[in-house]
Amino acid sequence: MSKEYPVKIHKELELRQSSLVLGWGEDLGNLGGKVTDCLNRKLKGQEFAEIEPDDFFSLGGVTIEDNLAQFPESKFYVCSERDLVVFRSNSPGAGWCKFLNSILDVAEHHCQVEELYIIGAMISFSAHTAPRQLFTVVNLAEIKEVLNQYDLVRDMDYQTPPGEKPTLNSFLLWIAKGRNIPGVILGVPIPFYLAAMEDPQAQKKVLSFLNERLDLKIDFSDVDQEIREQNEQLTRARSLFPEIDDYINRLESNLTLSEEENGELIKKIEEFLREEG
Amino acid sequence: MGIRLYQEPHLENPILVASWPGIGNIGIIAVDTLRGMLEAEEFGEIEPWDFFYPKRAVIHKGVLEYLEFPDNKFYFKVIQGKELLFFVGEEQPTEGGRVYAEGKKACHMTELVLDVAEKFKCRRIYTSGAAVALTHHTTKPRFWAVPNSESLISEIREYGNTVLMSDIEGRGGHGNITGLNGLLLGVAKKRGFEAICLMGEIPVYLRGLPLYYPKASKSVLEALSHSLKIEVNLDQLDELDQRVQRRIEEFYQQIPLAIRGQLDKLKHVTYDKPAGPGPITEEEKKRIMEDVERFFKKRGEGG
Repeated sequence: MSKEYPVKIHKELELRQSSLVLGWGEDLGNLGGKVTDCLNRKLKGQEFAEIEPDDFFSLGGVTIEDNLAQFPESKFYVCSERDLVVFRSNSPGAGWCKFLNSILDVAEHHCQVEELYIIGAMISFSAHTAPRQLFTVVNLAEIKEVLNQYDLVRDMDYQTPPGEKPTLNSFLLWIAKGRNIPGVILGVPIPFYLAAMEDPQAQKKVLSFLNERLDLKIDFSDVDQEIREQNEQLTRARSLFPEIDDYINRLESNLTLSEEENGELIKKIEEFLREEG
Repeated sequence: MGIRLYQEPHLENPILVASWPGIGNIGIIAVDTLRGMLEAEEFGEIEPWDFFYPKRAVIHKGVLEYLEFPDNKFYFKVIQGKELLFFVGEEQPTEGGRVYAEGKKACHMTELVLDVAEKFKCRRIYTSGAAVALTHHTTKPRFWAVPNSESLISEIREYGNTVLMSDIEGRGGHGNITGLNGLLLGVAKKRGFEAICLMGEIPVYLRGLPLYYPKASKSVLEALSHSLKIEVNLDQLDELDQRVQRRIEEFYQQIPLAIRGQLDKLKHVTYDKPAGPGPITEEEKKRIMEDVERFFKKRGEGG
């Protein structure tokens, strides 16, 4: 490992080739965090390396979430039976290029990674009852060919609008391209009123693709159960609060809500789901 | 992370003029206008990815075609026997949410700019920026000049319309220049280059507004033109200045009458050491500053 990249390797691996799946802890709907956690849980991921936080995170104190002090983590896990490497991290606040190169250094030099899958959620203004779609952006034409056989949205055109910045995922995909590592961003639009909560339907969409593509043999029964429970909760919310039902009905009819109505729907759904636990 | 030169122009002893964005974009407008006017040729850049977050992604049919970063480019021009190098940075490399560059990245970038200066045997470096001053937007801005060597002071005094730090009452020749426009001056000193920073005055009440201030860029450009002995046409800046002045005037009319009355007194300020009793007292200057601060604070709170 080059001294320049602050990576701690706890255990050397003996992978001949592997795929890397990457998720960020602060993703919308906690998509990246939940999918990487699920992969690690089901495929018995073992931590083997981490990126040290000093250069990339503001360490002026700790954040507190759900009553617990948090500290930035950027960890690599290996699921040896499936030749799969999982990277789960908080999003760095500085030194992005160095951080992303550190990830790819581990991927290339310690894991022989041949394909990179980057999880990213987007905001959707559709209702939760609409099926989730999986959008892909690739960095090399060769991997686009490979994706033809899957049920994906593959031909997206996009330019960063003025006043906005590209995502960290685009930055990583671009650096991977420079290293000739085929990479794919897996993006799922999440209903805006679930963006600060969780969206098991979106998780399943990503997991199903990875399951098929990487032959992971994952059992989805617990994710299906979470989807059922959330759908039941949202149905209950609609029946108890006519205004929630009205807003969601309008979204289901492809109508747009005003900014104020969007805000109100978010607030009511979040309050309801939190109370339901 | 480094410098990429597309060509290596044969130069003997050029002068480097460098600038980054700052308050009112005064320096960068002056330098970029001069560069454009002289049709200086691009010959290199500082690779941006370690310094900056990308500013635009372009995806076509599901393929990430490219990522665009802020430009940091070198240009050269030989004109009337004079050799000029330009460096124009589109952004300052900031860290930890700060407005201006400081720390490791900033030092690294200044070192890279000076590596190019050294490679081409530059004899002099100019940087430029803004000087926040108790002046009025209807008066001609002067420029404050800060050299990195004692031997340059007499030359600077000949430019006309110039203020040295020691000319400003109460400063005792002291002050600071934030960001890369200042840092380059210091690192240049350390590496043995003579350098001067030229800062156009911007009225204190305009410093926080998202406006260009081409009136001060003109003063900087006049200074550069005088120093480099190159004639420049200021028509382009005049046009821009007229447009911006109209916007400033609209803003000015929104300021409460009582504060505006105080600010109007700035039309008569001679900010440097007065020979006798000036047209505005120290007490009045202090009150103006307090009023301006209060007004902007209230405006900020009101959204």
